[in-house]
Amino acid sequence: MFKKVLVANRGEIAVRIIRACREMGITAVAVYSDADRRALHVRLADEAVNIGPAQASESYLSVERVLQAAAATGAEAIHPGYGFLSENADFARAVQQAGLVFIGPTPEAIEAMGDKGRARTRMEAAGVPVAPGYQGLDDPAALEAAAAKISLPLLIKAAAGGGGKGMRVVHQLSELVEAAAAARREAQHAFGDGRLILERYIPHARHIEFQVLADQHGNLVHLFERECSVQRRHQKIIEETPSPYLTEALRAKMGEAAVAAARSVGYTNAGTVEFIVDSQSGDFYFLEMNTRLQVEHPVTEWTVGIDLVQWQIRIAAGEPLPFKQDNLSQRGHAIECRLYAEDPANNFLPATGPLLTFAVPSGPGVRMDSGFTSGDQITIHYDPLIAKVTAWGENRPAAIQRMTAALRETVLLGITHNGQFLQDVLSDPQFIAGGVYTTWVEEHFNGWQPPQCGLPPEVLVAAALAQLQPPSAAADEHDPYSPWRMPNGYRVGQ
Amino acid sequence: MHFRYQSGQQSAEVTLERSGDGFRALVNGVAYAVEVLDRQPGVLSLRFDGRPLTFYWAQDGSRKWISQGGCTYWLDPPAQRASQRGSEGDGNTAVRAPMPAQVLAVQVASGDPVERGQVLLLLEAMKMEIQVKSPAAGRVNRLLAAVGQTVDRDQLLVEIGE
Repeated sequence: MFKKVLVANRGEIAVRIIRACREMGITAVAVYSDADRRALHVRLADEAVNIGPAQASESYLSVERVLQAAAATGAEAIHPGYGFLSENADFARAVQQAGLVFIGPTPEAIEAMGDKGRARTRMEAAGVPVAPGYQGLDDPAALEAAAAKISLPLLIKAAAGGGGKGMRVVHQLSELVEAAAAARREAQHAFGDGRLILERYIPHARHIEFQVLADQHGNLVHLFERECSVQRRHQKIIEETPSPYLTEALRAKMGEAAVAAARSVGYTNAGTVEFIVDSQSGDFYFLEMNTRLQVEHPVTEWTVGIDLVQWQIRIAAGEPLPFKQDNLSQRGHAIECRLYAEDPANNFLPATGPLLTFAVPSGPGVRMDSGFTSGDQITIHYDPLIAKVTAWGENRPAAIQRMTAALRETVLLGITHNGQFLQDVLSDPQFIAGGVYTTWVEEHFNGWQPPQCGLPPEVLVAAALAQLQPPSAAADEHDPYSPWRMPNGYRVGQ
Repeated sequence: MHFRYQSGQQSAEVTLERSGDGFRALVNGVAYAVEVLDRQPGVLSLRFDGRPLTFYWAQDGSRKWISQGGCTYWLDPPAQRASQRGSEGDGNTAVRAPMPAQVLAVQVASGDPVERGQVLLLLEAMKMEIQVKSPAAGRVNRLLAAVGQTVDRDQLLVEIGE
C-alpha cells in the first residue's frame, strides 16, 4: 500500500479523499491555490503545497505544478478527485511517466471514453445500446438524409465535448442545417473540434447511471444504479438509489450493459456508465462514461456498504476485489442533495459570499460532505457546490423524510443557496411518486420563488436578545454603563 | 429596551423588559414570556411562551441573519432612505450584473449604437459563462465594466441611452 498520496483537488472531494487516506494510514498531501490558503482540505491534510494563483488554469489544472508538488513531497500516487485533471488522459500519462501511480483508469481508457463520437462507435461494437444516430456528417444534404432516417426530434451534440456545449435540440427539419452550423461553431470554439453527432432526442428521458468497479486482475462488477433525473442546466441536483423507475429485469439488463461498456475499454478502478432511459418505452441508451469518481458516489456507498474511495486506492495499489457480482446487493434507499451557492429564483445563477454560520445536520442515516466550515468564503473561482447532504432510509419514503429533516436542520447564513428549493422538490408529489425526468425541474419549477416566511415574533425577540450581551458574573446589575444595560445596535425611543 | 427591525417591506418593534429569570417581550404590542435557555456564539436557545426554540444567527455588516425551524430571515436596521440605484429615471436604461462574476469580455465601446438583444458583455463565475444583452435599442452612454474586473450582483455595468 502507498505511504503517501497527493490529492489533486479541492473542496468536499479533497476532504473526502483525505479522510479515506487517514483511515488507511496513508499520509495525505493537499494542494491549494492562493484562494484556498485556509481551506478545509488544507487544514485537514498532513502536508499542503501551494500550486499557484486562484485561477484554476494556473493551479488545479496545471499538470506541471501538481507533478512538482508530488515530487517535492515524495507522494507515490495521485488521486485526481472529479473535475479538474481527473479525465485528462495526458495528465494520467504524465503521472505514470513521472513514476507515480494515477488513482483511476489507464490513459487509454480515459481517451477511449473521452471522445463521444469514438465512444459511441466502440459501444455499438460492444453491443451496448446507443440512441439511433449518425456521426461524421459534414454537408447539409447528408445531414438531412440522416435526420430523415432517425426521425424527429433530434439532438445535435459535439463529438469532442460535454457540459451541454454545442448541444441543440431540433424539432423541425427546416431548423436542422442552421442548428448544425451553430453547434459546429460552438464545438469548434469550445473544444477545437467541430465534429458533430446527430441522435434521436428522447423527450421525458430519465438519467440513470451505473457505478462500476474493476481491479487490475480482470474482476469487473457494477454496484447498481443511481437515478439522477432531477437536474437544472444539465447538472444534477438530487440523486438517489435504487431508481424508483427500474424493474429488476431492466436493472439486470442495464447492469450487464454497463459492465460490457467498461470491459470493452479495459476499464480499471471506479467509473460510471451513464444511460438515457426513455420513460415511455423503457428503452435505454449509452450516454457517456465518466472515467473517475462521481460527485454522487455516497448514495452507492450507503446502500452497497462499500467505501468507493478506499477501493479506488486499493485497486490502484494492485489489490484484487474480494467480491464478485453475485455477492453484491443493495440495502435500503439513499438520496443525495447538492447544496449549491446559487439563487433558484434567479435562474439558478451563482451566488458568492461568506459562510457566516454553517451548522450541519446529524443523526442516524445522515452524512454531510463539505469542503467548508463557518467563516469560509464562497468565491467566483470554483464550482458552486457548498455541501452534499446524503440520507439513508429503510425505503424510499423513509429516506425522503430523513433528507427533508436533515435539510431543515442545515443552517447556512450569509449566502444565497438552494436549500429551500431542494426541500420544495423533495415535497413535490411528482417527485414523491418517482415520476420525474431530466427537463422536469425547468418545466415544473419555472418562476419558482422562496416561500414567504413572514416575520414571526419569536425571530424578532431572538434578534433583540442576540444583540444583548449576557450578564457576566462580574458585571454590576446596577451599573448604568454595563453592556447588559447598554446594548449596541439600533436602540430607539429612549 | 427597544429595538426596531426591517425586513424587506415589513418592519417591527420589540421591547424587552427583565422579568424574574427571563424577559417580558412586547412585539408590535403583543406580550410574550421569554427565557434564555442557552447562549453560544451564534446560537441562542429560548423558551418562548413555553416553546423551546433554537436560533442560529450571524451579523453581516448592519444585517442580521437568523435561522429557525428551516426558515432563514434577515433583519436590517430601520430604513435609511433606499440608496440611489444608479441613474435610472434620467432616460437611461441601466444594465446590471445578474450574478457576481468576473468580466470576460466587453463587446461594445462607449458611444456605440446597440440593438435590443445585442450582447454587451460576457461574464464568468464558477465555470459558468453568461451573456449580458442590451434590454433596449439605443446608444452606450456609460460603460462601467472592464475586462478582468470583478463585479457584484446588481452592479451597474452599462447605461443605454437615446
